[in-house]
Amino acid sequence: MLQRTACGFGALAFQDLLRAAVAPTAPYTNGVAPKAKRVIFLFMQGGPSQIDLFDPKSFINDRHGKGIDSPLRKEITQVGTEKFLALGTQAPVRPRGKSGMMISDLLPHLATVADDICLLRGMNADNPQHAGATQQFHTGTFTEVRPSMGSWISYGLGTENQNLPSFVTIHPQGIRTYDNSFLPAAHQGTSLTVPASAQSLPIENLGNASESAAIQRKRLDLIQRMNRQLKSDVVGDESMEGMIKSMELAFRMQTTTPEIVDLSKESKATLDLYGVGGKDTDKFGRACLLARKLSESGVRFVQVSIGGWDHHGDIRGNLPKLCAQTDQPVAALVKDLKSRGLLEDTLVIWSGEFGRTPWSQDLSGKSPIDKHGREHQPESFCSWMAGGGIKPGLTYGESDEMGYRTVAGKVHVHDLHATILHLLGVDHLKLTARHLGRDFRLTDVYGDVVKEILA
Amino acid sequence: MRRFRPITALFLAPLALLAAGDDDLFFESKVRPVLIKRCYECHSTEKKTKGGLALDTRDGWQHGGDNGPAIIPGDLTKSLIIKAVRYLDEDFAMPPKSRLPADEVAILEEWVKRGAPDPRTGDATKAAKPKRTIDLEAGRQFWAFQPVANPPAPAVKDIAWPKDAVDRFLLAKLEAKGLKPATDADRHTWIRRISLDLTGFPASAEEVVAFTNDNSDAAYAKVVDRLLASPAFGERWARHWLDLTGYADMIGTSNEVFAEHAWRYRDYLIQAFNQDKPFDQFIKEQLAGDLMPASSPEQRAEQIIATGFLQVGDLEIVNPDKAKMETDHIDTQLIKIGGAFLGMTMGCARCHDHKFDPVGLEDYYGMAGMLRSSPSSGKMVGFGVWSTIRSVTLPESPTQFAERQKAEADHAAKLAAMKAEQVKLTEENKAVVTKLAALEKAAQAKPATPVDKATPIAAAPTPKPSPEKDALTKRRDEIAALLKTKGSEIQHAEFFKSKAPKAFAMQDDAKPADMPIYVRGNPYAPASVVPRGALRVASWDKFPAIPAGQSGRLQLAEWIADRRNPLTARVTVNRLWQKLFGEGLVRSVDYFGERGERPSHPELLDHLATRFMADGWSQKRFLRGLVLSHAYRLSSANHTEGLSLDPENRLFWRMNRQRLEAEAIRDSLLKVSGELATKSGGPSLALEIIENTGALSAAGVNPPSYHHRKSRPSQEFERTVYLPVMRNGPSSADKIRSFFDFADPAGITGQRNQTVMPTQSLFLLNNDLVRKRAGSLAKQLIAAHADENARLEALWLRAWNRPITGEERTDARSFLKEITSLLKTPRAPDALEAARWQELCHSLLASNTFIYRL
Repeated sequence: MLQRTACGFGALAFQDLLRAAVAPTAPYTNGVAPKAKRVIFLFMQGGPSQIDLFDPKSFINDRHGKGIDSPLRKEITQVGTEKFLALGTQAPVRPRGKSGMMISDLLPHLATVADDICLLRGMNADNPQHAGATQQFHTGTFTEVRPSMGSWISYGLGTENQNLPSFVTIHPQGIRTYDNSFLPAAHQGTSLTVPASAQSLPIENLGNASESAAIQRKRLDLIQRMNRQLKSDVVGDESMEGMIKSMELAFRMQTTTPEIVDLSKESKATLDLYGVGGKDTDKFGRACLLARKLSESGVRFVQVSIGGWDHHGDIRGNLPKLCAQTDQPVAALVKDLKSRGLLEDTLVIWSGEFGRTPWSQDLSGKSPIDKHGREHQPESFCSWMAGGGIKPGLTYGESDEMGYRTVAGKVHVHDLHATILHLLGVDHLKLTARHLGRDFRLTDVYGDVVKEILA
Repeated sequence: MRRFRPITALFLAPLALLAAGDDDLFFESKVRPVLIKRCYECHSTEKKTKGGLALDTRDGWQHGGDNGPAIIPGDLTKSLIIKAVRYLDEDFAMPPKSRLPADEVAILEEWVKRGAPDPRTGDATKAAKPKRTIDLEAGRQFWAFQPVANPPAPAVKDIAWPKDAVDRFLLAKLEAKGLKPATDADRHTWIRRISLDLTGFPASAEEVVAFTNDNSDAAYAKVVDRLLASPAFGERWARHWLDLTGYADMIGTSNEVFAEHAWRYRDYLIQAFNQDKPFDQFIKEQLAGDLMPASSPEQRAEQIIATGFLQVGDLEIVNPDKAKMETDHIDTQLIKIGGAFLGMTMGCARCHDHKFDPVGLEDYYGMAGMLRSSPSSGKMVGFGVWSTIRSVTLPESPTQFAERQKAEADHAAKLAAMKAEQVKLTEENKAVVTKLAALEKAAQAKPATPVDKATPIAAAPTPKPSPEKDALTKRRDEIAALLKTKGSEIQHAEFFKSKAPKAFAMQDDAKPADMPIYVRGNPYAPASVVPRGALRVASWDKFPAIPAGQSGRLQLAEWIADRRNPLTARVTVNRLWQKLFGEGLVRSVDYFGERGERPSHPELLDHLATRFMADGWSQKRFLRGLVLSHAYRLSSANHTEGLSLDPENRLFWRMNRQRLEAEAIRDSLLKVSGELATKSGGPSLALEIIENTGALSAAGVNPPSYHHRKSRPSQEFERTVYLPVMRNGPSSADKIRSFFDFADPAGITGQRNQTVMPTQSLFLLNNDLVRKRAGSLAKQLIAAHADENARLEALWLRAWNRPITGEERTDARSFLKEITSLLKTPRAPDALEAARWQELCHSLLASNTFIYRL
């Protein structure tokens, strides 16, 4: 039966969930020693343009600004793409590192860790709109509400730290990216905001409603006296007992949470590495640094999201802005994890919910080609993974000459999910939860582990 | 094309080698290895037969899979296996991960060309797992499919205890177990319990006093009748029903398109509960109200709105594959019909016969045919892949029509005024721009006349200050800003101009028809057509003939609402019971199948089902009977004997305590603080607030969208059921639903979760909702009572519905004193009083006594 009562966030609730990695005795272990103990997922909402960043096509570059002669032209019914013009890459994309992985000049910092990451150039998803694709990327489906992958992983692996939730999501893009759905509520992602100032709160309702902490404490003491009296009147009640404990925890969270998100004790070198204080990089740099801190402290699944990759127009002007905000922090995270010896068992994933078309989009119908953007493309896009049992320096998968469809090394979102679980030591076919008389899993009835990218 | 070059280069080499070979040798040496290496993992009788296709026997490809034979010997173009490996069509490309090397493709092509010689034997269908067939007769032996019985109430030893037949069924089991029911709850607890259960908020202080002063036994019935007659009853119980429908004010989880007509269905429900619409009629209206006779435009409108039941769920409308989308919509509707009325999970049978229950593909597609004959969505013109949900224009009474005409005229006048203003501004802008240009020209035309020939170096011309130019520039910018605002105001006003009332509703297609089974749910793999019908295992007779030209929804509705249906009444009374007693007699309230729970009191369940139907399917009379039972009056406190003999309270020896739902907490806070709005209903979405709407332009890539950024001022005090339900995260109108286990507006939630999370505690400790209500309550207490003791007594009665105890009084008084010493000074005496009482009120409102019902 579905658990109707559950507790979350904190010491008192998580005793039974406390685990270093997937238990070898768990019925859903894949029988392989887990390579990854925790996951950091960097979610680039909006659809980063893979053709500009990782997968340039001479077929397109050669025809920049000219109509593409292809039967696709008739099939595609996207708005603003009627002229079907080829849109060349926005900046040079070059081989990097020893591996020769193709990375754009727009991502100079990432280029320095090319040999640490594995580039997936044959990613596939099924929905062409943001919300549906975002939902599928996180839950495996877009036709009904299911638990998010962070929730599944929390459900399967528990937490490493009893004072922290097992699933934290920084600046989430919508409830579907961290919802527990029918899994117990303890597995819902705890949403955090990296405070822009000392006054803003990382979690909702964290600010004391009373005039002072002393008054709030008095108020809480009175509540607790009344709650204990009631509990004794009804001769015991687990849920009420949980509420009493949770009140104390909530009170403590008011001081402990700001401490967790406080980055002021980090060294200047670290802050500089992430670009904290930088004009473009400050916000995402803080988020990535916090992700490392949380991950290091034992949070099983940390997600950092950033929107703004949805470049329907003026991609030439807009894409570099997003790259400038994220490139240094993202590369810093990989470097920082590596230098701390954490990259070995931390799986880092970078992806959007889909990619973008190689042909241009112009909603006004009147702009010059340099002001055009690109439409959504779930048919084929790029993501990358690093650490935690992933083969470094590998470029896996290939798109057709236009960059529209995958011709080799196809990795569907379901396959990505299966692979993530596999690296955590979990068999995606066996990690199930019963709901309305049926067993559900993250990969639904799909998904194959992508063995080719495993170290 | 570059990508094909290596393929042609490799093409000839292997073929030349193989041409002379013997067929068997060719198969063994070339073909079989390719099949084993590339295909068997997913297409062999030993492992999987995805898409129904096995390639490890000749019989396998001859019969083929869902799409028919895989190979037509000798015919490359008609052989699906060749089409697949050639990777010509992305949706039909195999192997799925990456294409075969060109030489392997060539081998398969050569094999087919040769007539696909295949020495392998074996029967693919025999080798595959034997197909499970559904044994309906055996299935009917399961308790839930047995006809509803009418068992007599059993004899009990303690004949004084039962107040209702219900009590005799319960007591008999308790006596058999040697367990005594708990003592009665005191009257204060009872009136708080019944008020929360029937209306969703506590009793007022006056109601508590009136009830506790009335010592007659009739006092209980008096309270119950008052509550059942209050409009608040429908507002609470309609929400229970909404939990089964996937209701939200947005179309689907994966989009931001607003469901502007959804509120009509919600208001229909509230009215239906308040009018005590017989449940069988309630069922029929929701499934087929549009097909039922009506005697007035109002009734006709009401019945059309009722069919919103099938339309308000979480619907995906951006799937580019419309055939798939249609089947997804039908699936959502069938899951809902199965879950809400029958307690059956229908979804499994979309792809295969149900693994545990006697529900087969034929049942699923029999019902699906009816829904396919009344399609729920259509293409949304102008927005690429988007579709839209069917809405139907409602008939209007002459009064309604006249009112609308007036509203339309008013709106047109308003719009005209806005446009006139826009014209005026545009003209002024023109004038200003012209004047500015003239000034500019004049300034340039003036020859530079050095004032002092002696200092020619100081020639850097400082523009002469021109107050006229500055004023004009300022005005030009002002106008630009005004025009921009005016433009969006006009766009918004034009978009939301008053239109004929509509509802999301069902309508039969011009050509209703039976539909084929879709193999594995795939609309591109239709198999045999099945006649429209209902769940066979729960049927007592052949499904009635569907009149020509009708979808069959009405016949399905009549079948569900039939007194002979073994599931409908049982499922319904069990849910009603659960809302009052905390757990169902069948604890898996939404699922009565094989893997669900068995009833703890099967005879009582049947007694209740029979009683419900015999009493005209009246929900109010049914609930009245239950709440006046002795069982409902029991204390919820534990006792040692009960804890040891029946720790889960399956025998209902005591009342189950319940944590209030999000709505009940918010509504109770508003009620206790005296701020609850009395008049409500109508559209939830604040579409009239421009900031909440987006993409109204007809030229955008996306259809118009809604984000609840700003509430109407009145929404702060409306009951929660009237606030917009968003699918993607909570609306700012009420955050409380996201913290306290609100029903996910995508699924079927007959019973809410009751989780305990520290984020809830933070909410109670610090959120404005609680804080502000505490402030208002404090002010009212201070205004009403000068004396501290009187205030305390009033507070306890109002917030907790019971008198304050001596200990609590002492504690509260010393609390007030301590707070006084901690509050910042100086402060006006009034402000000090308000501040310390707010702290006390806040404590009571955040306590377990407030958020639990005993």
